[in-house]
Amino acid sequence: MKAYQADIAKFEATDTQVFGVSIDSPFANAEFAKQIGVTFPLLSDIKHTVLKDYGIFNEDGGYGNRTTFVIDKDGVIRHIDEGNVAIEVTGAENTCNILAHKKESPQ
Amino acid sequence: MIKILFALLAVLGSSIIGLAQTTSPTQQPPPAPHTNLKVGDKAPDFNLPSTIVGADNRRMRYKLSDFKGKKNVVLAFYVFAFTGG
Repeated sequence: MKAYQADIAKFEATDTQVFGVSIDSPFANAEFAKQIGVTFPLLSDIKHTVLKDYGIFNEDGGYGNRTTFVIDKDGVIRHIDEGNVAIEVTGAENTCNILAHKKESPQ
Repeated sequence: MIKILFALLAVLGSSIIGLAQTTSPTQQPPPAPHTNLKVGDKAPDFNLPSTIVGADNRRMRYKLSDFKGKKNVVLAFYVFAFTGG
């Protein structure tokens, strides 16, 4: 989450809303956000419904895999990072840049 | 007598090591699932409470559909708070 916070201005410049999602309560997430200085919203999927919808709920361990999705303005998935790669923000950032330029190019 | 004692200790030691080796694979966490969603798929909608407190002093909820036609959305799923990253 720190990596996203460090680059939050870059994401905002490409007309992108960043969310963190976990199965923690909003109160635990708010404390976490305060401790590491995160200003973008952290979402609480306590009932695991969104984790299941996105196919990353672990039935055995009950926790989600670290995964990042970039979704465009039409609601279509444009980029997916899974596992340790998802800690890096470069892939998501590049996709957001491409999406931003798409919008600006005359068609 | 001492030789027998050493031999016993050696057998005991190797059996403990053997036991540790055979039990270690079961201590591994279950493999993390990979998403079945692909690039180009429609993103499932969500409606979740957040850390952001709104003007009414209540925690704001966010829906993916609220951003349709307005903004791109990055959804970064992390395992637990306080695990860094």
